[in-house]
Amino acid sequence: MEYKIKVVRNRFNLLTDSWVWKMAFRDARTNPGRLFLFVSSIIIGIAALVAINSFNINLQRSIDDQAKDLLGADFVLRGNKAFEPEILTTIDSIDAVKAREADMASMVMFMTSTPGARLVRVIAIDGDFPFYGELETLPDNASELMQTQPFAMMDKNLMGQYDVSGDDSIKVGNMTFKVAGEVSKIPGGGGIQSTFTPSVYIDMKYLDSTGLVQYGSRVDYKYYFKTRGDLETNEFIDRLKPIAKKYGHWMETVEGRKENLGEGFQNLYKFFNLLAFIALILGCIGVASSVHIYVKEKRDSVAILRCIGSSGWQAFNIYFIQAVFVGFIGSIIGVLLGLAIQYVLPALMQEFIPLELDLKIAWSAVLEGLFLGLVIAILFSIMPLLAVRFIPPLAVLRSGFEPIRNFSKSRILIIGLIVAFPLLFATYQSDSFTIGLSFFTGIVLAFLALSGLGSGLVWAVRKYFPSKLGFIWRQSLANLFRPNNQTLVLVVVIGLGAFLIATLNIVQSSLLNQVEFIGNGNQSNTILFDIQPPQREGVIKLTNDNDLEVNQLVPIITCRISEINGKNIGQIQRDTTDAIPNWAITREYRVTYRDSLHSAETLDSGKIQHISNDSIYVTISKGMHENLELEIGDTITFDVQGIPITTYLGGIRDVEWPKDPPNFIFVFPNGVLEQAPQIYVMTTRIDAQSVASNYQRELVALFSNVSLIDLSLVLSTINEFFDKVSFVIRFMALFSLLTGLVVLAGAVINSKFLRLKENVLLRTIGASGKQIVGMTILEYIYLGLFAGITGISLSLISGWMLAKYLFEVVFLPDYLGLIYILIALIALTTFVGWFNTRGIIKKSPLEVLRNET
Amino acid sequence: MSEILVVENITKIFASAKRSLTVLNDISFSITEGSSISIVGPSGSGKTTLLGLCAGLDVATHGTISLNGIKLNVLDEDDRAYTRNQYIGFIFQNFQLLPTLTAIENVTVPLELRGEKNYLNKGKDLLSRVGLGDRISHYPSQLSGGEQQRVAIARAFITDPKILFADEPTGNLDEETASYVEDLIFDLNKQQGTTLVMVTHNLELASKTDRILKIKGGKLVEDQIVTPV
Repeated sequence: MEYKIKVVRNRFNLLTDSWVWKMAFRDARTNPGRLFLFVSSIIIGIAALVAINSFNINLQRSIDDQAKDLLGADFVLRGNKAFEPEILTTIDSIDAVKAREADMASMVMFMTSTPGARLVRVIAIDGDFPFYGELETLPDNASELMQTQPFAMMDKNLMGQYDVSGDDSIKVGNMTFKVAGEVSKIPGGGGIQSTFTPSVYIDMKYLDSTGLVQYGSRVDYKYYFKTRGDLETNEFIDRLKPIAKKYGHWMETVEGRKENLGEGFQNLYKFFNLLAFIALILGCIGVASSVHIYVKEKRDSVAILRCIGSSGWQAFNIYFIQAVFVGFIGSIIGVLLGLAIQYVLPALMQEFIPLELDLKIAWSAVLEGLFLGLVIAILFSIMPLLAVRFIPPLAVLRSGFEPIRNFSKSRILIIGLIVAFPLLFATYQSDSFTIGLSFFTGIVLAFLALSGLGSGLVWAVRKYFPSKLGFIWRQSLANLFRPNNQTLVLVVVIGLGAFLIATLNIVQSSLLNQVEFIGNGNQSNTILFDIQPPQREGVIKLTNDNDLEVNQLVPIITCRISEINGKNIGQIQRDTTDAIPNWAITREYRVTYRDSLHSAETLDSGKIQHISNDSIYVTISKGMHENLELEIGDTITFDVQGIPITTYLGGIRDVEWPKDPPNFIFVFPNGVLEQAPQIYVMTTRIDAQSVASNYQRELVALFSNVSLIDLSLVLSTINEFFDKVSFVIRFMALFSLLTGLVVLAGAVINSKFLRLKENVLLRTIGASGKQIVGMTILEYIYLGLFAGITGISLSLISGWMLAKYLFEVVFLPDYLGLIYILIALIALTTFVGWFNTRGIIKKSPLEVLRNET
Repeated sequence: MSEILVVENITKIFASAKRSLTVLNDISFSITEGSSISIVGPSGSGKTTLLGLCAGLDVATHGTISLNGIKLNVLDEDDRAYTRNQYIGFIFQNFQLLPTLTAIENVTVPLELRGEKNYLNKGKDLLSRVGLGDRISHYPSQLSGGEQQRVAIARAFITDPKILFADEPTGNLDEETASYVEDLIFDLNKQQGTTLVMVTHNLELASKTDRILKIKGGKLVEDQIVTPV
C-alpha cells in the first residue's frame, strides 16, 4: 500500500482568512459584556494616561506662554540684604523702567469689628510693578489708592479670614493704613502661596514709617526691570551679574523663571507620570488576567474547532481579532474619558498653579493613548491567547486532557516584550532612561513586595487553617485557595491601591501630628521673634502679665562667613575644585550662643561648642557641614557686624528641626558674642485661644516690630494644604483602586459559571440560600482583608521611610485612619464581589440543572 | 473495496513523572471503505483512546495509522486538523456544539473552514433531513439534548466525510430519541456511503454495524463479523 506522508493545504494569514473574522464576530456577539469588562482595564489605564499627559502638555504650554507674566518684568535683581552702593550705582546707570520691592514677615493688626493680629508678608512696592501680567484688585483702583495715600491692599483670603472690608484699617508696624482693597492676582503671588504666606501690600514710601526694618530684620529686596528687548535684557544682565554675585545677590530672568517653574512642576510631573504608569500597568494586569480566564472558558469551543479542522493559529486568530478590536474600542473610550478628566484636573489643581490654564485637546496625547491602548491590548492578551494554539483536539473526548507542548518561540518573544514594555514606557513617559529604570525597578519591587506579602499571608492561612471554624467560614476561606483562583492577582492589584492611599495617609498624619506633637506637653507653641534688646524686659513683662511662662529667651546674632580654612569668599567662588554652593557662603547666618545642647539636639560627632586655650570652637548642624565641606578642626571666620571672629569647628549636632524651635545651624559658646548687636527670640505656651488673641493684640500694639508665630495657625495651614493636595492624590490613586476593582469584577464574572455549578451542587445537597450568600460575602471580605492588610503593611514601611528620610519627621501614623481605610476597602471589595455574584446566588438549582443538560 | 483505515501495531503509553500507563497494546486492524464497525469493551479498556488515535486527535506512542492513505503519525497537529476537516466527521456523546453559534452556523462551520462559498443551502438541507428545518437560528442552549445531537449529526455529514467517528452517540439520550438518532446515523451513513467507526457500550447498537471489535485491558481480544439477522 502506498502512503501519503505530506498534506498539501491552503495556508491563510490573519488578513486573508475571512473565516476567522466571521468566527470572531459570532463568538463575541453572544456575550459582549464579558469582553467589555476586559476592556474596562484598558479604558481606565488609557483614561489616566491621556488625562495626565494632556494636562502636562497644556501646563507646559501655559508656562511657556505666561512665563513673562509670572515674573512681571524682563528680569529681576534679588537679594536678602540691602543693595550695596556699588550695585545701586550700576542700577542707576541702566536705562530701563524700574520698580523696587522689599518684603518681610511682620505682624499686622486688623482693626475690624473682630480685631485680630497675625503674621503676614508685608510687601512694599515702589513703581509700576507689574510690567507684564495682570494685577487684579477689587476695587480696580486699589493699586492707585495705595500708591498715592496711606492705603494697603491685601490677599483675598486674608480679607476673608479677618472679615476685612473697605472701611476698615490695619496697623502695620507703627503705622495705620486704610484698606484699599483685595488682591486676587499678582505676578509671583496669589494661589497656594497666599495660603502659606498671605501678603499685605503697601507703598515703599511708608516703609520707614512703619519701623519694620530694624537691626536683624530679614528683608528680601527686589529690583524689577523692563527693557526694550532681549538684546538690552542680556546686556543689562551681563553688567549686573558679576557685581550681584560678588555680594551674594542673584538675578532672575524670564527663561530662568520658566526653568524654575518647569523644575517646580517636575515633581508634579514625576508623581503624575508614576500614577499614569501604575494605572497603565494595572490595566495591563487587568487585560492579561481577564483574557487568561476568558481563554480558559473557551477551551471546549477551541477543542471542537480543532477537532473539525481548524489550525492552532486559526483558533488563536479568532480571539486575537476580538482582543484587538475590543482593545481599540477601549482605547477610544479611554481617550474620551481621559480628555473629560483633563477638564476636571485644573479645577483640582488651580490652587497650586500660578497660571491660567488654557486647555486644548492635546492631539499627541490622544494618538499616544490610542496607540498604547492597542499595544497593551495586543501585548498583554497575546500571552494568555497563545495557550489557545496548544489546546488539544482530544479535549473534546477527555475534558481534562492537557497539551504536551505549550511553549514556543513566539511565547518567549512575547515574554521578552512584556518585560521590556514597562521599562520602555516609563523611559518614554519620563524622557529619561534613569527615571524610567527607577520607575520600573520601583514597580517591580512594589509588585514583588505585594505578591510576596500576599502569598505569605495566603500561605500562613493555609498552613494554620482554622479548621475549628464553622462550615461557612471554612468553606469561604478555602475558596481563596482552590484551583484557578485569582487571589494573588487581586491581592496585589487591590493592595496596590490600598498601599498608595495608606502611604499618603501616613505621611499626612506624620506631618500633622508632628506639629501637634510639638505643641503637646510643656513644649512651646508660640514663638516671638525680632525682639530688640530694649524691648526684652517689656516683652517678658507682657508675657508674665498674661499669665504665660517664658520657656526660652534666645539671643540671635546675624553674621556672614568671610573665610573658610583661610580662603575668602571670592577665592572659594572662583575655586572650581570644590562644590560649595554660592548661597551657602554668601547667606546671612543667624547664630546663638550657649554652653549646652538644646532639647532638639544630639551631638553627632566632636564636642559641643566651647572655648579652649582662647580658641573658639563652634558647632554646626548635621547636613550643613556637607554643604560647606567642613570637617571637625576646620577654621571658619565669621563677619559679625564688621568684626572678624575666627573659630574652629568643634562638633556636629544632629538637629530635629521641627522640635522646640528656634534651632540653629551655627552655635557659639558663651563668652564670645555677648557684646555683639543682637535680637531675641522668645518662646511660650498658650493654650486658650482667647488668651492668644489678647496677647497678640497687646504685643502688636506695644511692640509693633515683634512678630509672633502661632504654631496652631501653622497646623491649620498645613492641614488646609494637605486637604487640597491629598484630594488630588486620592483622586489619582482612585484610578489604581478602580482598576483593581475592575480586575476583581472581571475575575468574579469570569468565574461565575464555575461558582454557579458549585453553588447548585451545594444547594442540591442541602445548603440554604442564606449559607450560600454568607459564603460568597465572607469570601470577598477575606479578599478585601488580605489585600488591605498587604497594602497597609507595606504602606507602614514606605510611610516610615518617607517620614524618616524625605520629610525628616517622627513617624506618627494615624492608626485609626488606617483601620478606616481597611474597612472601606473590605466594604468596597465585598460590594463589587456580591454585586457581580448576586444573579447566580438567586438562581434555583433546577433552572441551572436544566441549562446544564 | 479499498481500506480506508489501517491500524498497525499501535501502542499508546501515557507517561507521567511517577509512572507510565499502557492504555493500548499492539493493536492492529483495518477497515474497508463504506463499512461500519463498532468498538466495544468495558470502561477503561481504551475504546475512546483508540477512537482518538484513529481520528488523528492524538498520536500513538508506537505503530502507524493511515487514514485514506495518509500516515497520521508523521503529520503535525495542523496537518492532522486539515485531514480531519477533509475526510472525517465526528459525533460525540456530549454533542460538542459551539455554544456561541446557531444551529445552522454549527452545521456549516466545517465547510466554511474549507473555504467553500455556497454552504448555506446544504446546511439547511441537512438540518431539514434531521428534522430541524425550523430551528436553524436557535443556539444550542435553546435546543433539547436530542435536537443538539441531531445538529451534531448534520455537522458530521456536511463535509461528505469518508469516515465518521462516533463516541457513544446515544449515551446521553432517552430511549426514544436514541433510537431516532441511531436510525439517522445509519441512514445517512448508507445514503452517503460513509465508513462508520463507533464506540459504544450498547451491544444492541453495536450489533447494527458490520463488525465489532472488542477491546479489553488495552488489547484487541475479538474481531467479530456481524451476521445480519
